[in-house]
Amino acid sequence: MKRMDWVVDFISRKGFRKGWTVFIIAFFLFFVVIPTLYVVTYAFTDWSAIETTVLSKPETMSVIVNAVAASFEIAAIVTVIDFLAGLPVAWILVRKEFRGKEFLDTLIDMPLAVPTAALGFSAAVFWVMNPDPVPFSFSVISSPFFLIILLHIVFSYPYMVRSLAAILEEIDDTYEVAGRTLGASRLTAARTITLPLFRAGLATGVILCFSRSMSETGGTMIALSTMANLGIGEAANFFTGSTLIGEWRSLVENDPTYAPSLAFVSILLIALALILLIILKLVIMKFHLPLRKVWPMQEKMLSRGIFPKMKDGGALLFLALIVLIPSFFIFTYVLFSDPASLDMGALSYALGYSFLVAGVVTVIDIALGIPFALYITKHRDRASSNVLDVLVNVPLIVPTAALGYSLFLFWGSTGLTGGASFVVLTLAHVAFTYPLVVRNVAGAVEEIDPSFEETARTLGAKPIQSFHRVLYPLIKSSILAGAIMAFTRSLGETGATQAVLGSNALTAPVYIVSLVKADELYQAGLACIILIIVSYIFMLVLRYLTKKRKEAI
Amino acid sequence: MPSIILRDIKKSYGEVVAADDLDLEVENGEYLCLLGPTGAGKTTALRIIAGLTKPDSGQVFLDGRDVTDLEPEERNAVLLSQRYSLFPTMTVAENILFGPSIRKVPELDSRKTLVELLDLVRLTKRADSYPRELSGGMQQRNALARALATNPDVLLLDEPLRALDARLRIDLRHELRSLAKALGLTVIHVTHDQEEAMVMADRIAVIRNGHIVQIGTPREVFDDPVSPFVANFVGQSNFFVGNILCSRDGRMTTVEDDKGHVVFARSSEIPVDSKAVVAIKVGNTRVVKRSDAFVMGTVERTLFEGRVVHLDVNAGELGRFSVKLPASRRDQVAVGDEVGLNWDIPKASVFPYPEGGLEEELRVD
Ligand SMILES: Nc1ncnc2c1ncn2[C@@H]1O[C@H](COP(=O)(O)OP(=O)(O)OP(=O)(O)O)[C@@H](O)[C@H]1O
Ligand SMILES: [Mg+2]
Repeated sequence: MKRMDWVVDFISRKGFRKGWTVFIIAFFLFFVVIPTLYVVTYAFTDWSAIETTVLSKPETMSVIVNAVAASFEIAAIVTVIDFLAGLPVAWILVRKEFRGKEFLDTLIDMPLAVPTAALGFSAAVFWVMNPDPVPFSFSVISSPFFLIILLHIVFSYPYMVRSLAAILEEIDDTYEVAGRTLGASRLTAARTITLPLFRAGLATGVILCFSRSMSETGGTMIALSTMANLGIGEAANFFTGSTLIGEWRSLVENDPTYAPSLAFVSILLIALALILLIILKLVIMKFHLPLRKVWPMQEKMLSRGIFPKMKDGGALLFLALIVLIPSFFIFTYVLFSDPASLDMGALSYALGYSFLVAGVVTVIDIALGIPFALYITKHRDRASSNVLDVLVNVPLIVPTAALGYSLFLFWGSTGLTGGASFVVLTLAHVAFTYPLVVRNVAGAVEEIDPSFEETARTLGAKPIQSFHRVLYPLIKSSILAGAIMAFTRSLGETGATQAVLGSNALTAPVYIVSLVKADELYQAGLACIILIIVSYIFMLVLRYLTKKRKEAI
Repeated sequence: MPSIILRDIKKSYGEVVAADDLDLEVENGEYLCLLGPTGAGKTTALRIIAGLTKPDSGQVFLDGRDVTDLEPEERNAVLLSQRYSLFPTMTVAENILFGPSIRKVPELDSRKTLVELLDLVRLTKRADSYPRELSGGMQQRNALARALATNPDVLLLDEPLRALDARLRIDLRHELRSLAKALGLTVIHVTHDQEEAMVMADRIAVIRNGHIVQIGTPREVFDDPVSPFVANFVGQSNFFVGNILCSRDGRMTTVEDDKGHVVFARSSEIPVDSKAVVAIKVGNTRVVKRSDAFVMGTVERTLFEGRVVHLDVNAGELGRFSVKLPASRRDQVAVGDEVGLNWDIPKASVFPYPEGGLEEELRVD
């Protein structure tokens, strides 16, 4: 007890708090932002190589341009669909009470528990047109472009729903009640009163989804090669920006002449992503959608009768058909395939390694991400905090393959990549999961009246005490959401892992990719299922533990 | 020694000046009302005392100690915010116990404090409710109990009675004041309700544009306002604009407007022939016979307010005058009647004509 007091006193000292703030910001800059953007230095040190091997070769350039354009189109379409289909579900989750709500709540996160490599495989066998389809599959898709859209919806959708729901939960519905007693219909009240408050959540959701789609590598690669294996040759030549990096990253190990092209695509994607991020930020924050204009008649009509039911029903149908069934189709696939034996030793080693990395990464993210989120939300009046706020999105929106390559160059230049592969891998995963925690926490803190903490301070609480006793209970659900996102994201990441460690990577998703590449599809499916089950149990335990804690308080 | 001292405080937000050479001294154990129109900088002043807002310059002393650079938790000055800010995740009792538990008060003592405070604010039965389940008045009392539980030296109340209904507000005025007195607290109570300030305060400080324009007992501020603004903001006034005819005879000032109307006010130092404003409190304006009147006018409107009747009297070129009549004289005047108005000459204040014009001087936004 005494020692605890001493610690509280010590960390409340002004000097310590200054030092801690500097440390938090320095960590962010040196371990998150700079490694992520390190590849850009290539343009300065070796521009001539880029000029001779990339810019002067039209065929290379056209491959690059097509791939990058495809990435953008897919990401934009996916984000719009996620929002339209995700909003009603977020609404149902937060505002409606019904039997099976808990169940729906867990269902939403389920695709997150599936590594994207497994999702890519699962979605491909479910959707792709196939002369000899697996029973119950929906083999209608013959265009790689549409397949990737469907695939990306699966794993970005939960981010959208979660971001929207977390904010909705914090918005008191008294605002809405107030609006409705003033004569607004249900829909009008929701649109004019709750939605504007909702902007922070929307910004989070859009950035998460867009960047997730832009940057996904592993699942997209697997889906495309599965499609090619199923007889659609077009898929073998279809690239997104990220898969192009993945492809060239694997080639560069034997053929260093790919290095300039690889650096160029990475830089290009990073630059485009940054421009896009800034535009997005300006659009969402500055451009006020005409929400205040009210059309009472139409909205009253839409608020009654079958329209709300159709909207809810449609949203749930979408969830089931587009998101859940393709995610778990792999179970059906394994059920209807011929069994083969799986090397359990190698799998459990890979699983253990993945969990260890994801666990350490999540702990670092939480410990250093929450203070960072608090810093940027509480110093809105300072320009520096707004700059940091934009920078924190950088690793999110930079394609993980480009990020991985950049980290490889950065840590390679420090000489760490050889021996300390665990450390390097952890740092790499921190770089792209850290913003997930920061975004979630910052979004939640922004919605909370600062006078709670101020009152606590005047009542004698030190900053750490007022955080622990007052703010933390209010933002706990958002911290949990951020932690789950970070953990599962680390667990499922393929592209960045491979880009950093090349073929030495030992994580579960990389192991699964290697099984698919070796055409051991049944084993790959089985390994996916085991990974899904283990991570699902883990998530349930986490949820259960935090709930228990809440009741105990 | 004064318990709270603000010295030359300045604070601006971009173009907006929220505290402008703010000087204030509050005596130990005093109940001070900080009265001012909206946006005057009342909340800003409280936040600066509590340590939640850093002033651009100037100093804050609490109990003789310079606390300008201290953190809020080191000041023992509790702020009850305009919105109460009860912690939504805690019950009524947990909210009250927040301060004691932070200060590591022994379990037994804090239990005792809790029981006493719950009883004091009449929330014993609701101890286990959450703030959202309470009415506005209960929330206010819960917040007050939470503030008292930390045993503060200084209590800063930001419009503590604002959200309550009129009846409860009046009851709580007395309760709040006697509680503070019984506990020996130094209180700054922010309000923009002049009546509340009049009945509750030991002294009233009138603030405008981030600056204290007058400080004194309710009587002083009411009877001897330092400017037309104060005259009108603390108990509404009727105004008459003219030139000083004579002022230095020690008994009264005579003021004449350009149409030749003459009125009388208390003596003043304003030189003859300069432009001046006479302010007469509505409550000090009487309806009288034509022969005694300073001003004549026609009754435009009567409003029966229960205890009094409010008259709007149109005095032609002199503008409109407001008068209150006791309810017992309700039937003696009707709309359209010609009435005479006068006042006790010593109760009419006279000020030099304000530089920006009278209307600008009286603005309250
Ligand atoms: N954080 C802030 N940022 C920008 N301007 C502010 C801030 N806080 C206060 N102001 C401005 O400073 C001025 C004084 O505000 P303050 O809240 O102190 O007024 P007040 O007297 O408490 O008003 P009210 O009676 O409406 O509560 C106002 O013009 C306000 O807009
Ligand atoms: Mg205020």
